[in-house]
Amino acid sequence: MVLHTTINGQAVVADVDPSISLAMFLREKLFLTGTKIGCGKGECGACTVIMDGKAVTSCIIPVMRADGANIITIEGVAKTPTQLHPIQEEFIQQGAIQCGFCTPGMIMSAKALLDKNNDPTVAEVREALGGNLCRCTGYVNIEKAVFAAAERMRKGE
Amino acid sequence: MQYVKANSAAEALDALLKAEGKAIICAGGSDVMVDYNAGKIAPEMLVDVSRAADMQGIKIANGKIEIGAAVTLTEIATHPEIKKLYPSLCKGCGTVGSLQIRNSATLVGNVVSAQPAGDGAVAVSALEPVFTVLSKDGVREVAMADMYAGFGKSKIDNSAEVVTKVTIPVPAADEAAAFQRLELRKSLSLPMLNAAAMVKVQNGKIVWARITMAPVGVGPVRAQEAEAFLAGKEMTDDVLAEAGELALKNANPRSNPLRGSKEFRIATLPVMVRRALEDCRAQLQ
Ligand code: FES
Ligand code: FES
Repeated sequence: MVLHTTINGQAVVADVDPSISLAMFLREKLFLTGTKIGCGKGECGACTVIMDGKAVTSCIIPVMRADGANIITIEGVAKTPTQLHPIQEEFIQQGAIQCGFCTPGMIMSAKALLDKNNDPTVAEVREALGGNLCRCTGYVNIEKAVFAAAERMRKGE
Repeated sequence: MQYVKANSAAEALDALLKAEGKAIICAGGSDVMVDYNAGKIAPEMLVDVSRAADMQGIKIANGKIEIGAAVTLTEIATHPEIKKLYPSLCKGCGTVGSLQIRNSATLVGNVVSAQPAGDGAVAVSALEPVFTVLSKDGVREVAMADMYAGFGKSKIDNSAEVVTKVTIPVPAADEAAAFQRLELRKSLSLPMLNAAAMVKVQNGKIVWARITMAPVGVGPVRAQEAEAFLAGKEMTDDVLAEAGELALKNANPRSNPLRGSKEFRIATLPVMVRRALEDCRAQLQ
């Protein structure tokens, strides 16, 4: 089946097997391997991407649902190839990354929130990131990174 | 597997009927895709209704709230009018899975997947919902009690029928609804127990009460004994506590290695029901 979609601002046309997930398509066909597959069941958030402005777990999205949609993956977050997004920089600064497996999903969930609301409450941040599991960091520094990034985004960064 | 994007409910039904039982409806996909990937189901075709135009949106008019079957749990949980009319429905829909799941999963899907304790399903079950179902025989309306066939089994045949919307009444000023949930953690976790209640109170006395609870049987289970006991009573602490205890008469919880033993659930359920009723009382004060 032919899929017409937009990924990280670029129009993509591809012949796909409609039984695969969006996550598989991103990784195996487009080699956008920043999107991770942890559980493959919607239970860990590692595969989170932003579809039409909302965070979704791409491992359980049928690939054809991307038809006509606008998708952002972790590869599309940095402003330029040499300049990271404030969320990415703050994850590094605040020590919010250890093994890094959850990080792309965490950043996509954080971006989906902060793009709409750059002055969130603790509850809003926890709701936005509650679907992302991290086995390493203990979450505290991740939360700090999101607030630090929000502050920078409020200043227009 | 083939894939059809349905632009309307009629188109979805048409695709199902042409496939003669080999196609199934997919709305959010959060159950269908997981089951498909695990090999539990093997449809030859997915009929995606997530963009069906006539299954979108929340309409509030003439004393009714109509929620399209493609409306996501997030849309319901964050809807400004629903927040005012039924905070309990927002709470229930807003606790399913995680935000990412709620951004694609639907309330109708939460009912049709027929898991015993879907939070959206339990929250809506106390609101006397009516489901509109399209099949080759036309359109029919189905009450909550007629939606469940067994554990994980719906009476809706998703290879031959399309649920198009769910309708609930706008609550009167003397009615209130509540939803309670007990969980291991706040996100990505199925409830150990959940309960919903709705009451109508006039002149300080309960006119009627509806109480639903799960997982204590097939789908959300009505606490009929407690409901009958409450009719005509005042909402005193003693009455609400007694109703909580009476809820056990209709409950048959099973032990779950993660989410509580039968004994634990029996000891805790009365508290959940009582709290739901207390929440209703507080809203009416
Ligand atoms: S890989 Fe998608 S949620 Fe875990
Ligand atoms: S940093 Fe290792 S899983 Fe989060």
